Amino acid sequence: MSLVADELIRFSSVLRIAYNFLTGRDYLKRKKFREKKKLISIGLPFSDLVYGFPDLIPVFPIRMHEFKIHKYLTYLGSASNIFGWNRVSNFLGFVKDLGIKDVSQTVDNIIEDVIDTINEKYNEMYDFGEECGIPTDFCYGVKSLYGMNVSKGKNCDANLNYTIRCSAWNKYLESIKAIGNPSKQIWIEIPPRNIGNSLELFKDNIFNGIKELEEISNHSYSDNALRAHFQTANQIHQFYKKIIYDISTSDFYPCNPATYSEILALLNISFHDYNSNATRYRDNISSLMDEMKGRMRKGIGMDVSERPKILITPMFGGWEPKTHDIIYELGGRALYGDWDLLRFLDDIPISNRLDPIEAYAQFLMDVTSEGIGCDNDTLTNSYVRLAKDLQADGLVFVQVFGCHSISNCYRMLKEKLRRELEIPSIALNFNKMGENVEQIKTRLGAFMEMFN
Amino acid sequence: MENLEFLSECFMVLKQKKEEGKKVIAFISHDNIPEELIDAAGYIPLRMVFAGNDELMDASHDYLPPSTCAFAQSCIGAFSIKPNNLKFLDLIDYVVISNHCVSDICASEIISKYYNIPQLKFYVSYTKTENSLKYFKLELVDFKRKLEELRGSVIETQDLMNSIVKYNNFKRKLSELSKLTIPGSQKLIHFQRAILKGPDYLPELETFLQSQENAQKNEKGKPILLTGCSIFINDYLNDLIEDGGGNIVFFDTWVGFNYYSQIFSDEQINSSNDPIDLLVERFKNNIFGDHSVPNYLESKISQIEEFSINYKKKFGKKVGVINHIIKFCDHMSIMSSHLKNKLQEKGIQVLNLERDYSRANRGQLTTRIEAFLEMM
Repeated sequence: MSLVADELIRFSSVLRIAYNFLTGRDYLKRKKFREKKKLISIGLPFSDLVYGFPDLIPVFPIRMHEFKIHKYLTYLGSASNIFGWNRVSNFLGFVKDLGIKDVSQTVDNIIEDVIDTINEKYNEMYDFGEECGIPTDFCYGVKSLYGMNVSKGKNCDANLNYTIRCSAWNKYLESIKAIGNPSKQIWIEIPPRNIGNSLELFKDNIFNGIKELEEISNHSYSDNALRAHFQTANQIHQFYKKIIYDISTSDFYPCNPATYSEILALLNISFHDYNSNATRYRDNISSLMDEMKGRMRKGIGMDVSERPKILITPMFGGWEPKTHDIIYELGGRALYGDWDLLRFLDDIPISNRLDPIEAYAQFLMDVTSEGIGCDNDTLTNSYVRLAKDLQADGLVFVQVFGCHSISNCYRMLKEKLRRELEIPSIALNFNKMGENVEQIKTRLGAFMEMFN
Repeated sequence: MENLEFLSECFMVLKQKKEEGKKVIAFISHDNIPEELIDAAGYIPLRMVFAGNDELMDASHDYLPPSTCAFAQSCIGAFSIKPNNLKFLDLIDYVVISNHCVSDICASEIISKYYNIPQLKFYVSYTKTENSLKYFKLELVDFKRKLEELRGSVIETQDLMNSIVKYNNFKRKLSELSKLTIPGSQKLIHFQRAILKGPDYLPELETFLQSQENAQKNEKGKPILLTGCSIFINDYLNDLIEDGGGNIVFFDTWVGFNYYSQIFSDEQINSSNDPIDLLVERFKNNIFGDHSVPNYLESKISQIEEFSINYKKKFGKKVGVINHIIKFCDHMSIMSSHLKNKLQEKGIQVLNLERDYSRANRGQLTTRIEAFLEMM
């Protein structure tokens, strides 16, 4: 049994986020068929506009799949409807503490299943993508997204497609139509650079996208609905940032570092669509923050002051999930913060703008021009900024096979890290989860020795 | 004239122009880069049209992982190794960073950073909406302004218009070349050289066209439409196709149709007050360029189908399609199976030919091409 699972049950909010992720299929079916809501497929954290319409539900397509959920987690989900997740979590902690072997083993299995199940599904979608004809030379992220769309894309009423710097991404989006997906394709071009009046043009592109969403929805667009969502989104961003920064940089963690990494990984995955319910997600991430802070105040957790902080990035396009366990075993603590690196956790600037569309245009323009960047100089600056803000002692760069965009700048990054932060870094090749664990162990072993 | 001689001649011409004070602006991405603006500024646009090999690709691995587009790898390798036939790369003053694809961005940035060549940015919209066209215009104006800063004076409207006319006439001649019934290898060599040398190649091109006026039809082999990635200078792919009994009758690539088809009518030129608007119009009409989304695949399928029907009507033969995919090409690769399936549904045979520039591939490519040609 991993220490990770043992500790995760102390955070009821994590259980809730995980449960909401895994039971997405039932939730979405209920929304679609009973409540007559419409599903809008999104990839990357581009779900915000969809929340401007009460009858549209954004969905990261993997969540339409059926996950092998441990039957007891299903029972727990039902129990939580009656007793609430906090009580269920406390109960789980209680039975663990009793040390009754069978019950304790069941609890362990439930939690382990959550993390493993998500990763297994990603791999399954990767394989399915390849079976359905996507060439092998594409990256893990695009292959698995392709698989998700071939298998479940037809359940959505539309795809909301934003163009970004990655040409494979843009072409993947175009290919959705070619795989026989009948859903409407809504395109919003983000101008590659912020020059001249490109922000105005972008604002107009977003407005046109909204008009297309309006054609699917039974509701008209309203500034107020979108503004209300942006307030929720900003709260999510702030809580998420606090979890990344306040905890990561602390010498005392509310749990062991492997658990913390696991939580960051789960947040990373679930952030795409806020589990299709932004207010619920906001409440869960807020509780998570409270639970973590509460434990730290009570001195429950682990002193990590001697453990070097290792930033692992980029991981949103695919990474080996065992990496943080290996780093933990080697005496370090692994940190993930891709969405902050790419500026997706910045505030959507609604406080100083009357028009929420204008605010959102500015937000995404900043993501493009200062986060992901249209050039590698900007992108590598973003990696350096996060490493600096997290006071990272080292950086593990995930070089995804077939990725020509975000993990194709290691040489430039390595030089900047050495020059500006004077910290070591290592590139790990990644193709598919579970494929290269032994090699990663060996390489990380050598890397972590530098900190001893 | 062999390619080696030709490249050596290019080196001498460029060197002479440099001595006259002209500057050379190189770019990897071909599509949508406004070479007329560069020309109007008094500079020399230089397209990277060189095929790779093992050495060039290997030399790029200090900067990029091997799972990068083989053409981008080779471009970096060319600057790294500077083989004798590419000595004129030393003459480059600026490199254009553009986003035809993300490998283009990465490779151009690496060339700029590690080989100390100042960069000029020119980014292109992906879609073709009204706003995308307006954005493209912003980029053109920005690019023009940067060129003006470099040369220290304004680029006059008339000068730009003259450059547009010059390139337009040049492309028309290339279009005439494309219609000749001669072996694909002959067409290719002129396309490659014309695209490398620009309108300076016009006299040689005209001489060749005149020589063909009364020549007999000389087209042998099974007709092939080449789509996807270009065949660049010093690539052996066309030799393999011709040796296997095929003949490329239509080069639907950067080096070929994509270049010479982007021309303006006299009426467009005469009625235009702003040459920048003409360049925007050209971008709008460039629907077969692989950069664009979301209708590239549909446009490409109808274009190939139309060519195929017309060719059958004219020559009574079915044309086969070779979709040339340079390994790790984002644009061509992901669409390849869809392109093949859709065209085959229409009765057009397609070979998706994926490869990099390594020598070891040659045997396998030969086998695949021969098998395809036999099947036709």
